[in-house]
Amino acid sequence: MSDLLDRRAILLNQEAANKEDAVRQCGAALVEIGAAEPGYVSTMLDREKSISTYVGEGVAIPHGTLDGKALVKRDALAVLRFPGGVDWDGEQVTVCVAIAAAGDGHIELLSALAEILLDEDEALALRSATDADTVIRLLGKIEEGTA
Amino acid sequence: MPTRTVAVGSASGLHARPAKLFVEAAAAAPVKVTIRVGDRKPVPAKSMLGVLALGAKQGTEVILEADGDGAEEALNGLAALLARDLDASDA
Repeated sequence: MSDLLDRRAILLNQEAANKEDAVRQCGAALVEIGAAEPGYVSTMLDREKSISTYVGEGVAIPHGTLDGKALVKRDALAVLRFPGGVDWDGEQVTVCVAIAAAGDGHIELLSALAEILLDEDEALALRSATDADTVIRLLGKIEEGTA
Repeated sequence: MPTRTVAVGSASGLHARPAKLFVEAAAAAPVKVTIRVGDRKPVPAKSMLGVLALGAKQGTEVILEADGDGAEEALNGLAALLARDLDASDA
């Protein structure tokens, strides 16, 4: 998990004024750990305007457009938790799993994440996580699934 | 049961945007539609998480199934949607 999910990109007590603010924070986390160029953030916002990345279970998966792939330096995740919730086009989002992916790898990644969220207990555990170790344990399966 | 087998046409596979468009179309269908890959367990086509969990890439063959009034029409529409490159209109 260490390659894909950098501990510095797990931010579990965030506040966001709205969806755009939340996506910007997600993008900033990916930029901060050196996974993406700053320009990637605006492609994440473009993606969100084009179609919501809400997937269910209080989780959204902000990521860039196809054009944004060139701005990805390495595949990575960022996990941002908003305990107060963020209105996501009428849905309530508590956790964002932001994705930087240059190639096709994100499909396995999304598939593994979806498998986790389909388990209601694990989805709840992710929404309630207050420490990075819990997030790493829960999402550890993603890297096993994509290895 | 009416069935369609179709190869995913979207360049980036059946993930966020193409998956969302497909799921919305499936939710609007008058019948319950399931989707699966090979012999794996079918999932409701209107479930975003279920569809994402398939991990279907461009060219992956998926199997749609539905039963009841309007099933054939619904499957035709959804199969045509899957075969298209839904990323083509991407920003």
